[in-house]
Amino acid sequence: MKQDPCGSVLVVGGGVAGMQAALDLADSGYRVHLVERTAAIGGAMAQLDKTFPTNDCAM
Amino acid sequence: MSESFEPVIIGFLCNWCAYAGADLAGVSRLQYPPNMRPIRVMCSGMVHPDLVVNALSKGADGVLVMG
Amino acid sequence: MTLSEVVHVSGSLGNFQVTIRQKPRYVDMEKCIACGLCAEKCPKKVDDPFNAGMGKRKAAYIPYGQAVPLKYAIDPQHCIYLTRGKCRACEKFCPTGAIHFEDTERTVTVTVGAVIAAPGFEAFHPQGLDVYGYGRLRDVVTSMEYERLLASNGPHMGHLVRPSDHEEPKKIAWIQCVGSRNINRCDNPYCSSVCCMYAIKQALVTAEHLSGGDVEQAIFYMDIRSHGKEFERYYESAKEKGVRFIQARPHSLFPGDKGKGAVLEYVSRDGRPVREAFDMVVLSVGLQAPRTAQELAQALGIQLNESGFARTSAFEPVTATHPGIFVTGAFQSPKDIPQAVTEASTAACEAARALAPARGSQAREKTYPVERDVRHQEPVIGVFVCSCGINIANTVDVQAVVEYAHTLPHVALVENNLFTCSADTQNLIAQKIKEHGLNRIVIAACTPRTHEPLFQDTLREAGINPYLVEMANIRNQNAWVHQQDREKATEKAKDQVRMAVAKVALNEPLERLKVNVIQQALVIGGGIAGMNAALALADQGFPVILVEKSDRLGGNAWKLPTADTGEPVQPQLEATIRKVNAHPHITVHTRATLAQASGSVGNFQGILDVDGTQQEIRFGAAVLATGARESQPVEYLYGQDPRILTHQQLDEMLQKRPEAPAQARSVVFIQCVGSREPQRPYCSRVCCTHTVKAALRLKEANPDLDIYVLYRDMRTYGERERLYQEARRRGVLFIQYSLEDKPQVEKNGQDLCVTVTDPILGRPLKIPADYLVLAAAMEPNPAQDLVEMFKCGTNEDGFFTEAHPKLRPVDLSVDGLFVAGLCHYPKPLDESIAQAKAAAGRAGVVLAQDEMRLDAIKSFVTDKCDGCALCVDVCPYQAIRLESVEEGGRAVRRIATDPALCKGCGLCAATCPKGGVMVHGFTLNQLEAQVEAALAKAV
Repeated sequence: MKQDPCGSVLVVGGGVAGMQAALDLADSGYRVHLVERTAAIGGAMAQLDKTFPTNDCAM
Repeated sequence: MSESFEPVIIGFLCNWCAYAGADLAGVSRLQYPPNMRPIRVMCSGMVHPDLVVNALSKGADGVLVMG
Repeated sequence: MTLSEVVHVSGSLGNFQVTIRQKPRYVDMEKCIACGLCAEKCPKKVDDPFNAGMGKRKAAYIPYGQAVPLKYAIDPQHCIYLTRGKCRACEKFCPTGAIHFEDTERTVTVTVGAVIAAPGFEAFHPQGLDVYGYGRLRDVVTSMEYERLLASNGPHMGHLVRPSDHEEPKKIAWIQCVGSRNINRCDNPYCSSVCCMYAIKQALVTAEHLSGGDVEQAIFYMDIRSHGKEFERYYESAKEKGVRFIQARPHSLFPGDKGKGAVLEYVSRDGRPVREAFDMVVLSVGLQAPRTAQELAQALGIQLNESGFARTSAFEPVTATHPGIFVTGAFQSPKDIPQAVTEASTAACEAARALAPARGSQAREKTYPVERDVRHQEPVIGVFVCSCGINIANTVDVQAVVEYAHTLPHVALVENNLFTCSADTQNLIAQKIKEHGLNRIVIAACTPRTHEPLFQDTLREAGINPYLVEMANIRNQNAWVHQQDREKATEKAKDQVRMAVAKVALNEPLERLKVNVIQQALVIGGGIAGMNAALALADQGFPVILVEKSDRLGGNAWKLPTADTGEPVQPQLEATIRKVNAHPHITVHTRATLAQASGSVGNFQGILDVDGTQQEIRFGAAVLATGARESQPVEYLYGQDPRILTHQQLDEMLQKRPEAPAQARSVVFIQCVGSREPQRPYCSRVCCTHTVKAALRLKEANPDLDIYVLYRDMRTYGERERLYQEARRRGVLFIQYSLEDKPQVEKNGQDLCVTVTDPILGRPLKIPADYLVLAAAMEPNPAQDLVEMFKCGTNEDGFFTEAHPKLRPVDLSVDGLFVAGLCHYPKPLDESIAQAKAAAGRAGVVLAQDEMRLDAIKSFVTDKCDGCALCVDVCPYQAIRLESVEEGGRAVRRIATDPALCKGCGLCAATCPKGGVMVHGFTLNQLEAQVEAALAKAV
């Protein structure tokens, strides 16, 4: 008998990519473990001042 | 008159177009005079004629319905 | 889990055991209230990595103000107690006893079905490149440091000053490709893909940060790579705004006057040596895979490519070399934010696909407290005024608005926040709601179009109905548009707050209607994007209807010999078509179009026209993948000679007549044919790489062939740069031309001849051509019918407009619709596939729900309705019908509204002469109150 897969996913990295992947999976019915190396998530995008082309605040 | 005339304009802005456009004007930093007071509506078709008449009778110098 | 690293992975797809090492935080997360006393009392100052080392933080720290989780941590490398055994100041002052020096490293093991690796990038370190003087000249900074200098939460609170003397710089240079596209001085031959655009952004944003705005910006570049959606327009706008673009690479940097600033030496295009002084120099450093990513790859057992990024294929762009492990973000390849966000959804989709049978088995629902009934209470209003860093506070006197808000009726509490949208402020708002018994909230900040859902959720978490919040848009519709008039902007902000307070006092709790989600998807377009989206959805277990206009699946991919990675396309394409046709969950309709559509997210209805016969369909979400096509050139004698070809025609000829290159002596390529021109201002993104690949293929067939590429900027971004380098190494000649001086094509008898001005000699060069290949622009297939049916939008160029260019790059503005492939923007095969899977992932998020909550902004009937039925005909959605009801023993006529059909437009409300029908949240009373508040003179 084939064992059913586990319904959890590990996401390594809490930057904008890791966070989006984690959110999509959590919203589709999977349990997500998000592992981040530093003391807070956000990654490099949090360090940016503004983003083009709209010059919106990156936060 | 010591001060120049500063009209008070009531703007009804459709959430899906004019209001979004006004947001975009902000994002693009387009500068315009600060006389309009925006009111968000879900469609310009929502603006009852009474609202316009009452705004004018209560002292608005102009009413913009944008949608 | 923060401060954590993966150390070991065992097992296989469906069942991995992952060992994670969590370093001690020395702060109890449960007890820490983020009051900041520990950091205030900590005597040890440390260079702040968040500010790229330019500011200081303490050894007890939070990484940044909006950090999630907002809990302090102690840095064991710098803490005086942990390094020298004495101090413990933080412990003494912590009011909650959260400091926990006995904290130790923990190892946890979790079982998961799949792993997604997104360890990100690190910026290139320019220390080794002494020509740029980094570290030697104080006013030479990296782009990351510059970003922090601009930031309102940066070391100088967003007031741009240079490091040497803290004066405002008036003349700033950017040097591109530092640590990218360079095979001599460092190991990063690839293009980092993002630096051109961030340099242009920094140059433009700089003007906003300096008093008076007068600043000179110069960008030293090799090729400007603005190949993304709306990027070319941004580049053009920078040129119009006076940013200088200088095609040169400064070869030496010297200290400026009194050791401040820097003097650059470079050689101009016409060969003149130039010395120019700048107040400040920004090095546009590239992206590279961090060392931690290599360790992670080792722990995961996946392979890296020669650049140090994860090895993937064009057809499975986020799948690592070990089954069940997916990679995304800059670790997959250097990329910008939209691409990273897109491919994050791709990776999520792939993981969901692999684990489809286990969906829901481990998930936990988010629960909200029971709503407090506030209907019969007097309004108790809380007003939160956001500074938005400097975005609002620079123009509007936020303090004056706060003071003014205190004087308004029913207002019980007013607070000012630096960023009202940050997670800690959300907690604060929820706490204040409970503490002060607030039952109505006003947020004076940005636009409700993007941020209202966030604040509505905060209200729910605080136990009150989400519709009891109103936003006053004092940023987009005030601070940003009245930057020159602080006084009037502040007056307007007060008026806006007064209007919002007047309205919110009349807000009532509203119920959201539930609809059942039709767990079936529609995919429009049977090209490589549409097919991949269909497969990804079907593999997650959702039935898919795939609609293709032509008589066969495959689209443009039939005409493409190889992907940019060199992998042949045709076998993969045929395999994909076979899989689609054989999949039990996919119904394919060729020669089919969508003729009609209605409904909304979770519940769409449509009519398909399949070869003339119509059939009804229902679907919960749709992916639009209608594609694009190579345009027909209208210049360079195209159509007048069989030897003048487009890319697709060249590929076709090489397929049919493989001997052709051997019989030719000279081939000329002209780039940007129909792209980056006033009538089609975007860059078609794929043509530079296509040309380079074709040139290499021709050289392969005939090494003696002379190949000339006439180009404006070569845009072989990312790993594609290696192909460009290879082409130059093989002797392909690249000659730059400008839009003002385009090449001329002549036909003298049987001979084709191309004339172009050589940029270095400044003289015309005549090149005989056996074949002339035109890199024709990609143009979107017409999709006006879909735009009208779904009320979604396209940009000026005819590509579908996404809901947010950075953060929702595959969602359309209409909920439940997603976009993939070339109809979004021209892109190579691997990116089309990635986006298709991302769209499928996002659509899967909708389809995974059994039921969906609709917005509560719907019409409702009041007791004033007398059944005159004037509104019935004006309703554009047929949501109103007339009925007969028993009332007091006799039959009366009344209207009834259908909330599932109603869109809340309020045409009925504006038509009704008696106030018999209204829209929740926008009743006549509420709008009237706003008008009156707007006209009541501000005190």
